[in-house]
Amino acid sequence: MSSPLLSVANITKTFPGGVVALDEVSMDFHPGEFTVILGENGAGKSTLVKIMYGIYTPDKGSIILKGREVEIKSSLDAIKKGIVMVSQIPQLVDRLTVVENISLSLTRIGMFETMTRVRRFFKEVSEKIGIKVNPDAKVWSLTYTQKQLIEITRAILLDAMVLILDEALTYLPMEERRKFYVYLNEFKEKGRSVILITHKIPEALEIADKIYVLRRGKLVGALDKASANIDKIRDLMFGEAAKTITYERFTKPYETPIGDIVLNIRNLVVEGDYGEIAVNNVSLSVRAGEIIGIAGVVGNGQRELLEAIVGLRRVREGRVIIDNHDVTNKGVKLTRESGVGFIPDQPLRYAVSADNNIVENVAALFSRKNFVVNWKSMRELSEKLINEYGIYPPRPEMHVKLLSGGNIMKTVVSRELEYASKALVAYNPTRGLDEATSTFVRRKMKEKAVNSKLAVLFASEDLDEVLQLSDSLYVMNRGVLYGPFDPVSTPRSKIEELMVV
Amino acid sequence: MIPQLDYIIDKILPAFVTFYLVSLGHSIFEKSGILNLAIDGVFFTGTGAALLGAILPIIYNIPISPPVMGVLVATLIAAILGLFMSSVLTFLPISHGAVGLSLQFFSYGVGIMLGYYVRLAYGTIYGVSFAREDVLYLSIISLVIGVVLHLFIERTKIGAAIRAVGENPHSAAALGVRVMAIRIVAGMLGFALIGFGGALFILSWQRSWDVKLFTLGYGWLAFATALAAGRHPIVLIPVSLLFGGLVNSQTDLQSRLGIPADVAKLIPFLAALALMLIYSTTRLRRIFASPSSLGKPYYKEEKSI
Repeated sequence: MSSPLLSVANITKTFPGGVVALDEVSMDFHPGEFTVILGENGAGKSTLVKIMYGIYTPDKGSIILKGREVEIKSSLDAIKKGIVMVSQIPQLVDRLTVVENISLSLTRIGMFETMTRVRRFFKEVSEKIGIKVNPDAKVWSLTYTQKQLIEITRAILLDAMVLILDEALTYLPMEERRKFYVYLNEFKEKGRSVILITHKIPEALEIADKIYVLRRGKLVGALDKASANIDKIRDLMFGEAAKTITYERFTKPYETPIGDIVLNIRNLVVEGDYGEIAVNNVSLSVRAGEIIGIAGVVGNGQRELLEAIVGLRRVREGRVIIDNHDVTNKGVKLTRESGVGFIPDQPLRYAVSADNNIVENVAALFSRKNFVVNWKSMRELSEKLINEYGIYPPRPEMHVKLLSGGNIMKTVVSRELEYASKALVAYNPTRGLDEATSTFVRRKMKEKAVNSKLAVLFASEDLDEVLQLSDSLYVMNRGVLYGPFDPVSTPRSKIEELMVV
Repeated sequence: MIPQLDYIIDKILPAFVTFYLVSLGHSIFEKSGILNLAIDGVFFTGTGAALLGAILPIIYNIPISPPVMGVLVATLIAAILGLFMSSVLTFLPISHGAVGLSLQFFSYGVGIMLGYYVRLAYGTIYGVSFAREDVLYLSIISLVIGVVLHLFIERTKIGAAIRAVGENPHSAAALGVRVMAIRIVAGMLGFALIGFGGALFILSWQRSWDVKLFTLGYGWLAFATALAAGRHPIVLIPVSLLFGGLVNSQTDLQSRLGIPADVAKLIPFLAALALMLIYSTTRLRRIFASPSSLGKPYYKEEKSI
């Protein structure tokens, strides 16, 4: 076998707060090979490739490129060494144009040069691989797929030796993905190396020459194409927990009785951060005990819709009616007081105060109307939540910023589910959680909806989650809501198509 | 000479160049995402440094025109402060507000140190200041700087890089931008222009220097000017003219409108408030939006969920 093009050896990375993201991980990437790194959320896949792309620096370990140990200090450094990464979330600057973004990566463009040459380069490559994007459009005005295609165009323009795709293809429509596989095969034949990060086993089996499996920061398996199969990989990825993980539905849709309309959204129009129409004439209603899921790729208006419902974003047209009270543009205080729990996007930033401890974060919501906080009862409540959800370490005085991402999310979810008495509005309720905990959280949401007659409206980028949990589902694409659909009888391909077309 | 032109040369232009250069520098600085609360301090340091610089050719017999030397020294010292502020705030994930305000008070001290002894030794600085008509050339130079900088920010790769680090330093770094280098360029350039403005404040507009100059708060008025013009180098031109005119026409307005002096002093600040209100309630708010990462501590290895 040929010697590896790129290797990582004994890489260890610990984040502030003592979270060990990677523990002595070593891998080889050979020329002309398609390597897949599999692992669930939080297994350390992204951290590893971010180290290879110069975004993070490892605490320990080395990176060997073409037999020589190298230090990658920045992404620019990585690009110069021929390593290029495309992430799941496009790493583009929204308020810049397409060519301005591309120019920032191209070392052959001088600092004082204008965009003329970049525009020509971009047009050449985009015509070759069949992408239709206006090179002078601002990035914020593009769809997710377009942004991702721009990232890929950029990688081609940079003429990479090692191409890292961090869940970059996972959400692309099948047609675009196939187009890209053709290009990747050409790329491989030129003796270059492709590294694909994913948490979806079928996607890995589709294309991999070699599979590495990470679990909780440790390398737990290396398989080649011949020896890999779904069950084997599942066991490696989830270990003991594999048994408790399920994407099976808990109940059939509408198996449990539902009550009156709690959330009533009528013809909602909401602006996004750049003044564009992010939510376009959306109507839907959620009844007590009902779970409505919204599927969609990130950045199609789900965040803006949910923020407008709870009163965090101004509604331009339309009405939000909660429990027969019109709360349109009346602020988040009123919605919260009507008994609505809310799990926002980017929970670390918007759902907790990271410098305060768990008790204080619980008290901020539950003691909102009290002039004096009853710390004893808040502590008891926090302890209850910690026990029930297995928040680790089980210390109510722990500063939230010192918890791992998954435990912060558990703190948020437990608090909001406890607080919600009428409705729960959630965005990616299991983001950053491992699969076993995700299943647990979804089960809790379902229980709470059934037992406390909670109206649940959630949006998720994980289609499996939407299919598992919803009584009926909608698809949101470019601000328009399609549906409702029955999660059992609707073909998955139809939903996926609506998400991206 | 016609009286209107006299009025413009004496009253409007000196104030205009000062406000334009200071708010232009501030705008470039903030486009890179660093909140500049040190503006008034740096402005004052510029005045002190200009005073010191202007007498150097006389003391050491350097064949450079004294006011030009004053401008050079002021821009140099201000640029060093810019280098410090940009690099510290990019290297360490700390509060922009705290560093900016600390640097402001530090700069007041530096300004006093640079200017005070010169002030004691030389009573009047008319002899080392720009001539009255020079303000015409200075205005043209600053307008050229403004237009060139506008093209530089909007058209070139380095301009795109400055906007990128102001919008999202993490994405910019992933694209291959050296965040530190770009912020240092914007920081030094921005502060140098503030120093230039400070130099013209004493060498062309006031033609005198006093320890207590910083109590005027003109640096903060330039801050408001930049904000009201959305940090846009071209829009800054009319806004600076308006503010410069208002500041310098206080006495006229006072006598014409028959209002107390203290109220007249408020007029430019009220105008700044009014402009900001107008633009924040209309669509201009989106066009003139602040850089998304303005004032946010930058921590390279941030973990987010």
